[in-house]
Amino acid sequence: MVIMQVIVGGLLLGAIYALFSSGLTLIWGMMNFINFAHGEFVMLGMYVALLVVVGIGGGPAVFGIAAAGALFALGVVIYAFLIRHVLRGPMIAQILSTFGLALLLRYAAFWFFSANFVSLPGNALSGTIDLGGIFLPVAQVVAGSVAIVLTLLLQFLLTRTLIGSMLLAVAEDPDAATLMGIRPDRIQALAWGLSAGAAGIAGALLATAYPWSPSVGETFGLIAFVVVAFGGFGSVLGSLYAGLIIGLIQAASGFWLGVIYKDVVVYALFVALLWLRPQGLMGKA
Amino acid sequence: MKKLAAPPLGLTLLAVGLVLYPLLFSDAFYRDIGVTFLLAAIAASAWNIVGGYAGQISVGHSMFFGIGAYTPVLFYTLWGWPPLVGIPVGILLSLALAAVIGLPTLRLSGHYFSMATIAVAELIRILVGTWNFVGAAIGLQGPARGRAWWDLTFRSELPYYYIFLVVLGIVLAVTATFESRRFGYYVRAIKAGERAAKSLGVPVHWTKMQALLLSAAFTSIAGSLYVVKTGFVDPGSGFGILVSVQMVIVAALGGAGTLYGPLLGALILIPLQTATNNWLGGGGSGLTFIIYGGIIVLIARFEPGGLSELWHRLLRKRWKRVDATA
Amino acid sequence: MPLLDAQNVSKAFGRFRAVADADFAVDQGEIIGLIGPNGAGKSTLFNCLAGDMVPNAGRIIFDGADVTRASAEAHARVGIGRTFQVPTTFEDMSVLDNVMVGAFLRHPHRDDAREQARRIVELTGLKPDQRARSLGTPGRKRLEIARVLATDPRLLLLDESLAGLTPGELQDAIALVRRLHEMGITIVIVEHIMEVIMTLTKRVVVFNQGHVIASGTPEEVVADERVIEAYLGRTGTPERGSKP
Repeated sequence: MVIMQVIVGGLLLGAIYALFSSGLTLIWGMMNFINFAHGEFVMLGMYVALLVVVGIGGGPAVFGIAAAGALFALGVVIYAFLIRHVLRGPMIAQILSTFGLALLLRYAAFWFFSANFVSLPGNALSGTIDLGGIFLPVAQVVAGSVAIVLTLLLQFLLTRTLIGSMLLAVAEDPDAATLMGIRPDRIQALAWGLSAGAAGIAGALLATAYPWSPSVGETFGLIAFVVVAFGGFGSVLGSLYAGLIIGLIQAASGFWLGVIYKDVVVYALFVALLWLRPQGLMGKA
Repeated sequence: MKKLAAPPLGLTLLAVGLVLYPLLFSDAFYRDIGVTFLLAAIAASAWNIVGGYAGQISVGHSMFFGIGAYTPVLFYTLWGWPPLVGIPVGILLSLALAAVIGLPTLRLSGHYFSMATIAVAELIRILVGTWNFVGAAIGLQGPARGRAWWDLTFRSELPYYYIFLVVLGIVLAVTATFESRRFGYYVRAIKAGERAAKSLGVPVHWTKMQALLLSAAFTSIAGSLYVVKTGFVDPGSGFGILVSVQMVIVAALGGAGTLYGPLLGALILIPLQTATNNWLGGGGSGLTFIIYGGIIVLIARFEPGGLSELWHRLLRKRWKRVDATA
Repeated sequence: MPLLDAQNVSKAFGRFRAVADADFAVDQGEIIGLIGPNGAGKSTLFNCLAGDMVPNAGRIIFDGADVTRASAEAHARVGIGRTFQVPTTFEDMSVLDNVMVGAFLRHPHRDDAREQARRIVELTGLKPDQRARSLGTPGRKRLEIARVLATDPRLLLLDESLAGLTPGELQDAIALVRRLHEMGITIVIVEHIMEVIMTLTKRVVVFNQGHVIASGTPEEVVADERVIEAYLGRTGTPERGSKP
């Protein structure tokens, strides 16, 4: 039963990994661009949730939407003022832009919120649930389930809607998209909004179930790299599978090897993956 | 060959200034800033070889710095060997690690290399922090008092200053030498366009690898110098992200891919950093990161070539104006 | 024995077969034109011949050696040089430095490489100290030719290097290609401008849908029914003047 608990717990956490990683893979797939600040977006989503709960109160729906909205706006702003310009620049500008942004956001969070761990004050999702003998916090179950639904929703948005085909058109060939009457920079701004928004709402979901400090952004950022590398660069569905697997691996290694090693195993996996199949385990060659 | 033909007046002044500095400012505080400046310049110049010249942006160079710092003190702790023995072993270990990272990732777009460097550096930092053999979270201590000169443990700042200056001279000399040779042309061509470089017979993968190896070796030496000077290293000061960040920002601010860019960057940043640390005390390091992050974003957004590119542009504008009035 | 012999070369992207069983041989000292409608697979074939892509099937023999799976670098070393349809000059480097990158292949020492580069810059009529960035498209195309010439190629693959030039520039470029040919370099030239093909080449190979559909003298090829059909079926008659 303990093992089942570990497995289900790992899958639920992995679902949230899948949600924020799908944001990273969206940007990578569309513009061949790695966002080093993606983990910080997740971290900011967590603090937005906290601020909303403490400031104005409200249930998970309220702070979840608030985190998604705030991060969506931040993503668009960052695209407009930074990414749009560095996309045309040399490699060093592309990598340093979001790397610098990550430092800025992470340490600004330390500055404002201190390095102490915090958690959301008691909310509607407290308590545990009995799933046929497996006892899990309600918050974990709800957060994980919502994350799966949202990831599938994002996949639906990208593959079955007009917005999705516009995103695809711009990703394939911005010039051709322009001829079709699409404005590539608007679509790319939208993609950044969606990407950061996914990270933001994933952060809010994480906040309901797990305590955190500003340093979690770095960990989540690296986990997102691992998930994307595992699931194939650019594939949301790949991220979903990979997220679940990574969550499982992490939970298992935390359980059997000790808590300190749960991140070590994930990073080691990433390095091994870059060695063996750099195009991603499930990605096309 | 403009570079050789130009009177090396600036270079001479710089060299004389650096040699005389600790004699003119004998106060320990100023000498310490001088040593810190030289170390930052050495490390950033080392990063610059692969990050600036070859355009492969490492954001985890702390792994080589940390290996360079840990190896000599580890050997000292285990068997009492002087750091002069540990330094070359550290270089070898760094070269091996560089090869392991470079082999798969340098074949791919630069993003993979950057991701791999940050992940490996983080992995090593966590592992070192839990591994008792290398002191875990507490770190390792070097010789408290030197047994002889070859322990490189001095009470005065002066010997450190001149050792560091010589090493900086070597790094710059090596860089200047390859700059005007085939290797220098090849790395610039690769940075400008890999496909075109390949079509001209440039061994792209191997050339990038050479740049990484050279860079890793010098970064390892920088780490060794650091530990020889402070006599102590822990996971944060050896493998921490600030170590990588500082190399990147010093080189990028001054001008990545230029010979004197890292020097210029260190000249600006180190005094600034010392000043902010003094004003804000030890707790100022968080603010340092915020400022560093902001500077990196600004460089990326407005002047990826750094201050030396800005300087050249301003000069060109002035020349144009002079031409127009003439 | 031909200098370059491509035997049943195929290259597919997913289901799309860009080059399908292409047979194509070039003799030492020849200068031949490779033409065909847009999307006929000429650039893909070029990429295979230059080692930029590895064919899915078939063999490519250069001077008796199998180079099918060799890297682009290895192709340059054995003496296959190429230019790109969209120029890829090293923008921040001077003209001379661009050419020196190529010259280093046969002249590892800097002074020898510089001498070789100077000679070639002069031959191609470029200004050595100009920045690549400040050149227009014709200048860049010319610089690409100069750069690859510095590698001492035996076979030169020119991918629309003469497109987009003014009539005056075009005459200069034709004269330059002719000089290279006289110097003993075997040349394959992809071009849309029939005037160039007619004046420069003695043999033309026509490509359509990944196949070689005709081959012969320019006059024969232009009169060939399959060729007319291929062009009419897609983009009309072989274009005169520049590409649309």
